Amino acid sequence: MRVIILGAGAIGAHLADLFSKINQDIVVIDDDEQKLERIQENCDLMTVHSSSNAPIKAMKDAKVGNADLFIAVTRDEYMNLSQCVLAHSLGASRTVAKVENRELTIPQVVNAFSEAGVSSVIDPDNLAALDIVNSLKMTWVRQRWDVHGGALTLLGIKAWEGCEILNIPFKQVFKPDSPYHVVAIKRGNDTIIPTGDDMIKTGDLVYFMTMRENMASMKKLMGKSHYPEVKNVIIVGGGRTAVRVVNMLPDGIRAKIFESDPHRCEELTELVNNDRVMVINADGRSVSNLMEENIKSAQAFIALMGNAEANILACLTAKELGVPKTIAMVGNMDYVGIAGNVDIGTIINKQALTASHIYQLLLDGDVRNIRNLITVNADVAEFTAHPGSRITMKKVRDLGFPVEAELGGLVRNGKGILVNGETMIEPGDNVVVFCHGTPISKIEKYFK
Amino acid sequence: MINTKLICKILGMLLWVEAAFMALCLLMAVCYRESDIKAFAITIGITLAVGFLLRRHGRHASNALSRRDTYLLVSLVWVAFAMMGALPFLIGGYLTSVTDAFFETMSGLTTTGATIMEHVEGLPHGLLFWRSLTQWIGGMGIVLFTIAIIPSFVGGSVMFFSAETTGPVKSKMHPRLTTTAKALWGIYLCLTLACAVFFFVFGMGPFDAMNYAMTITATGGFATHDASTGYFNNSAIEYTAIIFMFLSGISFTLLYTAIFKGKVKRLFKNAEFRFYSVLTLGATAFIVYFLLRDNHYNFPDAIRVALFQVVSFLTTTGMFNEDAAQWHHITWVVLSFCMFFGGCAGSTAGGFKCARGVIALKILRNEMRHLLHPKAVLPVKVNDSTVHSSGQITLMAFFIAYFALCFTAFFIMILVGVDSTNSFTIALSCGSNVGPTLGLEIGPTMSWSILPDFVKWILSALMLMGRLEIFTFLVIFVPSFWKNN
Repeated sequence: MRVIILGAGAIGAHLADLFSKINQDIVVIDDDEQKLERIQENCDLMTVHSSSNAPIKAMKDAKVGNADLFIAVTRDEYMNLSQCVLAHSLGASRTVAKVENRELTIPQVVNAFSEAGVSSVIDPDNLAALDIVNSLKMTWVRQRWDVHGGALTLLGIKAWEGCEILNIPFKQVFKPDSPYHVVAIKRGNDTIIPTGDDMIKTGDLVYFMTMRENMASMKKLMGKSHYPEVKNVIIVGGGRTAVRVVNMLPDGIRAKIFESDPHRCEELTELVNNDRVMVINADGRSVSNLMEENIKSAQAFIALMGNAEANILACLTAKELGVPKTIAMVGNMDYVGIAGNVDIGTIINKQALTASHIYQLLLDGDVRNIRNLITVNADVAEFTAHPGSRITMKKVRDLGFPVEAELGGLVRNGKGILVNGETMIEPGDNVVVFCHGTPISKIEKYFK
Repeated sequence: MINTKLICKILGMLLWVEAAFMALCLLMAVCYRESDIKAFAITIGITLAVGFLLRRHGRHASNALSRRDTYLLVSLVWVAFAMMGALPFLIGGYLTSVTDAFFETMSGLTTTGATIMEHVEGLPHGLLFWRSLTQWIGGMGIVLFTIAIIPSFVGGSVMFFSAETTGPVKSKMHPRLTTTAKALWGIYLCLTLACAVFFFVFGMGPFDAMNYAMTITATGGFATHDASTGYFNNSAIEYTAIIFMFLSGISFTLLYTAIFKGKVKRLFKNAEFRFYSVLTLGATAFIVYFLLRDNHYNFPDAIRVALFQVVSFLTTTGMFNEDAAQWHHITWVVLSFCMFFGGCAGSTAGGFKCARGVIALKILRNEMRHLLHPKAVLPVKVNDSTVHSSGQITLMAFFIAYFALCFTAFFIMILVGVDSTNSFTIALSCGSNVGPTLGLEIGPTMSWSILPDFVKWILSALMLMGRLEIFTFLVIFVPSFWKNN
């Protein structure tokens, strides 16, 4: 498959990396030669340099006409849209444009764009805000991914002292019919696909597959019962993501946004249409400012400044001051791992979110849903088992499924079921697979 | 520099418009064959002549109208209209004092509705109609009327529009000023006609129905009977009056979207309208309680008279159906409060305006929150749009100016020996263009003829300032207005 990426910025580079790993033909177009060189060093792909006064020539050089997917992720949203329209007219079969303005993502507008040739628009700020708001609903969970409208849920939970199953091998804790299934463990920088002899240790990030009704007992099992419900949120940094977050906040949650630029504060008061939000013109990195606005009464702290280091440090400070849940936006991929190891609740990376969203578009229609988990360098995907496919032939333990992948659970007739060795997968089931270090395409074969 | 010639030219043109209105009254006088035919004929002659002289003087005027010219012109137009409008009273001999005649006409044009006539019913029909007509023109604004019918005359200048329309936020309904003015007058006309039809159906004579409809939709308050609407002793008429007073106190732009565009929901979402309704209901409930307790009304009557009086004072109409002088004095305080706030911005009502009230309350609330959160940036939002700090300062300046003027008038009246309660409510009544006064010496149903001449001139000026929202008129008295820079 031929994928053309316009824009070699953070998102473009991440996408190029993802796609080249699954052996696709990638062409990256950008007007900055240094960026292109850097990308070419790390990934197996072709680059085309475009000059700003001949963008169409570059498109033709990249053979947009043969492209299966054209992705425009430059900084300029209108440039993205117009280049998508152009790519479509040159013959690209699918086009994706990154936008920043919320109004460009409302259905009416999206329809108008798709008539003009833009197959999808994605809004990274919106994806980030959705993730943040979701994680506020369950503060004791680091990551949450709902499958099939919540019939199954993947939860990433950090294990600390107080976890009831610490240091006990799984075969002693879990029976085949236990309502939880550990699909992966992140320990240090390693990702483990567990067997019956593995166990949870302090500091592990554990990925569970479970059903929604078991959330409460899950919380107790992991020793997280003392986590309070979020009522007050402090947000540091009043960028676009912050605006989306506060406009999406569920009822009953109050927020304070710290922003040090007085001019931006004025703008924020106009952008925020919510009485429960207060804009504060002060530096959120200062402890005295945070204390003045009573950070002790906040249950969650979200750092959304432009600088990843500042966000990580601000979150650590907030933890120190007693805020149970911290969320940091980390733009720099290299810091994602470190931020996960230090005690920061949830890490948001817009590039990765956008990339996995686009990644999903590329994959076959059989993959219903996919999510790239950057902290463990893994993908979780939802597949539909076809009649006569290999996966439906034998019991799971006899399938010879790759060890790097783990079958988490399945949804049959809208009901979530966890998978163990004895499970027989039936045609039509939606199966959730956790893949670490193995291409999705390899897994896909089992379902065809 | 002030463009005197152009001002004269426009003024002359507008006087001809006034003469046209007077011709209507002349027609009325001829129909009824009464004594005021001569008065109107002579007045029309004089008005046309003065208008002609002014136009002649401004024959070769350059067409550049500066901001200063606008303020001066708008103020002059109102004064000139009042002067010419006073002539029929004097020439016909119905009033002998120039002061009284000018006061009466100014009270009409500014939709105040305070009268110095002891006995209205004795006046000929033509003159009664003229009193109502002054209010009807003044309700929407003389200049706005002219923009609607003679679009060429100011070349669509928004400065004129904003100099005469009321309220802190001036929104056009249509990109073109002429169309906006026409739409506003259209709504006004519809309201007036509807009101007249209802009055007629409920048993008023056609002449009375027309007059009451005009003064009610203008939120003026002149009546063709000494006892105002109390004369009819008909609750259907009173409720009609209440409804139309209330409607006339709503922003006409809002009314247009609600009635003609069918977006009634938007009306109830509007912060100003909600404030206005809450104020009406709250004040009514309060007064009903005291009427039931002290004055032994039965419940339906108490509701009717309380609602009538509250709506009449809040919309700054100033009609009455009962003598509020008999009520507990605490109700006077509530009514004064209503007088102060007035109706919604962009309506024919006067006063401080509910829109400003909403903003002022939000500023107050923000000030309190600021004490707790010193670094917070707190917006003042009305209907999802932010009022910036410059707008907030203007509002505060308006508030101060309003009170300074009312207190100056209050001070002078006390000085010349007017009863203290009366002085206070008269000042408020003129500043807000309401009409009646509450007090021991002059009751709400009585005329103001016993006031000294000197005070009447001051009150005339106060009424005009209240109608033009103070600054348009006040700026003329700032020395730097006349300096050449």
